[in-house]
Amino acid sequence: MSMKLDLHSEMILDEYRENLPVYEKLLSIVLERLRQCLNENHLRIAGLESRIKTEDSLTNKLELKGYKYKTINDITDIVGMRVITFFSDEVDVISALVEKMFEIDWDNSVDKRKMLEIDRFGYMSLHYICRIPEATYHDPDMPQLNQIRFELQMRSMLQHMWANMYHDMGYKSDVEIPKEYQRNMNRLAGMLELADEQFSRIRKEINNYRRNVQSLVASGNFNEVPLNGDTFRSYIELKPFKSLTEKIAGINQAEIYEDSLDPYYQVLLHMGMRTIGDIERIRKEYTDGAYQLALIQLAGTGLDIVASSVALQNICIVAILKQGFGEGGLVRLFAALNGENDYNVQRAQRLIEQAKKINLV
Amino acid sequence: MKVTINKQNEKTLVTLEGRIDTTNADQFQHDIAPLMDDERPNIDIDCSGMTYTSSQGLRVFLLLQKSVMAHHGTMVMRNMDSRVKEVFDITGFSNIITIL
Repeated sequence: MSMKLDLHSEMILDEYRENLPVYEKLLSIVLERLRQCLNENHLRIAGLESRIKTEDSLTNKLELKGYKYKTINDITDIVGMRVITFFSDEVDVISALVEKMFEIDWDNSVDKRKMLEIDRFGYMSLHYICRIPEATYHDPDMPQLNQIRFELQMRSMLQHMWANMYHDMGYKSDVEIPKEYQRNMNRLAGMLELADEQFSRIRKEINNYRRNVQSLVASGNFNEVPLNGDTFRSYIELKPFKSLTEKIAGINQAEIYEDSLDPYYQVLLHMGMRTIGDIERIRKEYTDGAYQLALIQLAGTGLDIVASSVALQNICIVAILKQGFGEGGLVRLFAALNGENDYNVQRAQRLIEQAKKINLV
Repeated sequence: MKVTINKQNEKTLVTLEGRIDTTNADQFQHDIAPLMDDERPNIDIDCSGMTYTSSQGLRVFLLLQKSVMAHHGTMVMRNMDSRVKEVFDITGFSNIITIL
């Protein structure tokens, strides 16, 4: 028995010890629910922390304000979880899902983000006090599971960083900070808040841009679509080289191994492609040559597996030869794809010999 | 087909000799199977003695490459004869496997 606690607080501490298995069960159920919900909603988060308040920590709390609590169930943060999001606007998304999943004790929940005065910055976080509704989970052997409240905090990574650094300096609320340091802390907090907002804004703008690009690519207005990483990915999703790949695979009734075309993005830029329309032009113009090249290379070899990238590889080879860039152009292509080495020259020369046989050069 | 595997510190040196074709591709896969259990493998394959690979051989190399990627490791093939290398080039496998 602690020497510091009064009898009432000792009784609360005993209740805590008896309830420990329930807290553990409660924690595991809530964590599982949260993880499942995040997965179902395709939400990526920066972290999910959880803890059951230790006996030492509870003892300290009871020492300070044990008189406030009638029973252990009046203490709402024995079981606590924290969801850390990448972006500040995701806190609202997560909280909306939490509201659907759990019963929220609104009288005791706090949106610390809204508590700040107009001239104050600092700790910002959303704290919900929750229960598991009986309708969603009920264990007749552990009815307390639906009565015990738990605390769920939701904050962005930057809010989390702020809170941790603040805590690490030994302060629990900003009024304790000596005035001479308060101003600098405020400046820092303001900067983090602005950074959080900017990250969210930039992400929204990028998402809008991607949606616009996807619809432009999907509409087939390729000449209006500048070539960049996003547009290239959207274009590749249309599988523009699928039919050529299948035709090449047909030479030996080969299996197609789907590999990434990402390395070709830089290659196409180096080849002077500026819009998706430029890629479409070489695709249409050189598909037949690319197939003829594959035919002369693969026919009779019995090789019955090809990578899906072979179609674009051959289109690039034919485009380089047809546009008169010759051996040097091919060596640069192979260097861009597979790194610089002596073999690239040999490969380029062999290809030129093959190309001559089918009148590509 | 002869496969020699030597583990030296963090690196695994593999030496291949002869042809890989339908007759021995299963054996080849069996020989290199222990490499697929390694965490963060660093595999260096010396192909100077390899004279040919068929599609079956390509499939085994692909299997190994996928395993290496899944285990966050690296794999390179070296000293490949140009005729063997051509098999990798015309099938597009040079884009998948690092050949130095």
